[in-house]
Amino acid sequence: MSNAGKPVDELIKHEYEHGFVTDIESETFEPGLNEDVIARLSALKKEPEWLLEWRLKAYQFWKTQEEPKWAHVDYPPVDTNEISYYSAPKSQKDKPQSLDDVDPELLRTYEKLGIPLHERAALAGVAVDAVFDSVSIGTTFKKQLADAGVIFCPMSEAVAKYPELVQKYLGSVVPMRDNYYAALNCAVFSEGSFVYIPKGVRCPMELSTYFRINAANTGQFERTLIIADAGSYVSYLEGCTAPMRDENQLHAAVVELVALDDAQIKYSTVQNWYPGDAEGKGGIYNFVTKRGACLGRNSKISWTQVETGSAVTWKYPSCILRGDNSIGEFYSVALTNNYQQADTGTKMIHLGKNTKSTIISKGISAGKSNNAYRGLVRFGPNAEGARNYTQCDSLLIGSECGAHTFPYIESKNKTAIVEHEATTSKVSDEQLFLCRQRGIEPEQAVSMIVNGFCKEVFKELPMEFAVEATKLLEVSLEGSVG
Amino acid sequence: MSNPKEFPFPPQLLEATNANLPKWLEIIAAKASESLQALSLPTRKTENWKYSSRRLDLEACQPATTTLTLPEDAWLPKDHCAYFTDGVLDSDRSKLPSGGIELIAFSEAEADDIVLIENNMQAYLGDNNYPFTNLNAGKLSDGWLIKIGNKQIIEQPLALVFHNTGAKGSVHPRIIIEAGTLSQATIIEEYTGAAGATALTNAVTQVQLQPEARLTNIRLCMEPESVQHIGLTTVEGKRNSLFESHCVGFGGKLRRHDLVVKLQEEGANTIMNGITITQGEQHFDNHTVIEHVAAHCDSQETYRSMAADESQIVFNGRILIHRDAQKSNANMSNKNLLLSTGAEIDTKPELEIYADDVKCAHGATIGQLDKEALFYLVSRGIGKEEAASMLSMGFINELVQRIPVDDLKSIVLERINRFLKETFAQSK
Repeated sequence: MSNAGKPVDELIKHEYEHGFVTDIESETFEPGLNEDVIARLSALKKEPEWLLEWRLKAYQFWKTQEEPKWAHVDYPPVDTNEISYYSAPKSQKDKPQSLDDVDPELLRTYEKLGIPLHERAALAGVAVDAVFDSVSIGTTFKKQLADAGVIFCPMSEAVAKYPELVQKYLGSVVPMRDNYYAALNCAVFSEGSFVYIPKGVRCPMELSTYFRINAANTGQFERTLIIADAGSYVSYLEGCTAPMRDENQLHAAVVELVALDDAQIKYSTVQNWYPGDAEGKGGIYNFVTKRGACLGRNSKISWTQVETGSAVTWKYPSCILRGDNSIGEFYSVALTNNYQQADTGTKMIHLGKNTKSTIISKGISAGKSNNAYRGLVRFGPNAEGARNYTQCDSLLIGSECGAHTFPYIESKNKTAIVEHEATTSKVSDEQLFLCRQRGIEPEQAVSMIVNGFCKEVFKELPMEFAVEATKLLEVSLEGSVG
Repeated sequence: MSNPKEFPFPPQLLEATNANLPKWLEIIAAKASESLQALSLPTRKTENWKYSSRRLDLEACQPATTTLTLPEDAWLPKDHCAYFTDGVLDSDRSKLPSGGIELIAFSEAEADDIVLIENNMQAYLGDNNYPFTNLNAGKLSDGWLIKIGNKQIIEQPLALVFHNTGAKGSVHPRIIIEAGTLSQATIIEEYTGAAGATALTNAVTQVQLQPEARLTNIRLCMEPESVQHIGLTTVEGKRNSLFESHCVGFGGKLRRHDLVVKLQEEGANTIMNGITITQGEQHFDNHTVIEHVAAHCDSQETYRSMAADESQIVFNGRILIHRDAQKSNANMSNKNLLLSTGAEIDTKPELEIYADDVKCAHGATIGQLDKEALFYLVSRGIGKEEAASMLSMGFINELVQRIPVDDLKSIVLERINRFLKETFAQSK
């Protein structure tokens, strides 16, 4: 055991690995939000008229709204006028044609983060769209994807090239009036990925977006839209990191998934934004709206998330099961340490007949953190034979943390069946004793036990992500034992 | 609440009461009335009232012109009972117990009892989560303190019957139960009303258990459909005390019961059982909170409900474990049967845990009768309706059998049988 003999103090001091800042010249808007800023942003991205109008409408609505207060989190109010709504590396000005033209400094950043952007990444077999602050800096495997008919490009490119698709589906799953942060995102979203899988196509490789906040005092507002046409399949991965800063930064994204007849979307996230330091200073506010609509018959949307980062998380990836026989799944591991706070869960809205959903949520709280599961399972009057199974387990490590469960269950159909189970426990002394007896150090023993606790979720992750997630848990838990 | 004045209480509920209260009580009632001015009625956006606020119809709570009589299916105990007609003790009908347990009107309380009543009356004043508790204090005509002496073991259950004739439009009963050290007692609260009364019953019961005290509380909500019922029961348990509750509720226009139990000292335990049944367009909303304040406390909660026709049942069970409440053991189970497609059940079992060495679990289900079990019975020559009725009874009977007073058990069973007959006769 490599950590053997190290004093506990040293283990606690383990720092956030991705906390470096890339020194790069960037063009950043003055902080503040008003109609001019939105118009400037829209003009910079050469957006069509309808999109600007849509943004302004969202802004007007957002102005009438208050920040939601119902979540079990506590943080000073976010001053939306101190945030800059656009930041892009200067070298972007003359649009690189291929990855070879990209600023080597940027490429080095992604290399450091372990994201293979170069074509040599063919070995990894994952197509990546890398988003740096407010712009996408490059997308790999464009050709192979185009051959299969798959569209995978930055949102701004999609707006220009495929306006009819974007216009049809943008805001169709998460309407602009959905909530405070979704409305803000509609008004100022700057980048994100657009995916369209044509009829009957099984996407030849995993698609992935990597988000990086670099500039100070900026917020990241990305918007992702994935459309899986009839009979198609896609697996999509999302990862994120940010530098270490003392100020809190806002990340308010919107993700919309649309699955038509017999289509399947698998969406996996490893969220590792900067969580703040051991005193709870700094870190990302992660206020994200993610929702998928199973519009077609027999469609399926599966969310898998591993949440280890962010100072405050407010995130509920949901499924609207409209099509008959559609399936929604939600697998989640949320780990909080130090002063982190997470309020996360899912919504399963059963509207169609024989719709099924599964929710497996594992919350782990350590240090002085608070971790809450908040979920909604709703059966509409037409959801004949619908079925839900929910299991949410919490694990507490240390006596100063909290674990909470707030499940809402609403049923309006007598043939629908819902089962909900929740347990809360700690790493038991017996389990620890058994491991110690066999010569396993306490740190490693806890790590083993926690990984066992999360196994049900990890097995849903694509392989590369599962390995990363296991490592992340180890790192995030370091210092919480003893 | 951003704008408290947006949904004020209707004026007829805010009018001052004309009771002759002693000075000290009048001050508290005035304070409560004053805080009511700032409090607003719950709306759909009030988390605590999310599913029930639209049922509130306080404008309809108007005094009835005719005197209305007791419904036939109410349980009328013969002795060891106190009758309250529209909140006033009916001494002709009541047969108050003698020895070991005493009933003291707030207006006649003395010395130490005044302090106790004052402390209880002041709880929740100005609290926006409990606007109706404020209303209860503001509209107080008189309340009763029930004292069970130290080491007293009261074998015979004491029944409190609250009858709402509808003559006043709204009735606000207030009871404080003080169970002495090592005492044991059973107290039954029955809420009834005259058929056709368009009134509000807004009851508050506060229970204090001294060390080693054991109290069984049976609460029956038997009012006719048109009466709206809002009730709050709060319990504070000291060392090694035991609070056992059986809440039996039949639906109506608006039914709401909040049960808040605080386990304050080590070894305090609670067992909470609930039976809720609705039909027609009825409604019932149960909110329970179990707070584990001290270590080594144990709570067991079991609520079952059945909703038929177009009715709605709401359950919100919250378990809150404080930081110091290590070695807590909390279990909650909420099972629901939807007997018709028009009915709705909303449940929310919450856990809020701040201590690490605890064992907490909750389970909630909503479903229908098991098809295989139905088939099994039907294949043996039992009619479909009867089979469904048998299975439903089996689902709820477990909790009915736990009610420790035989008279009540049969009353409740009778009501359930009638309900099942009506429900399954319709579905033919």
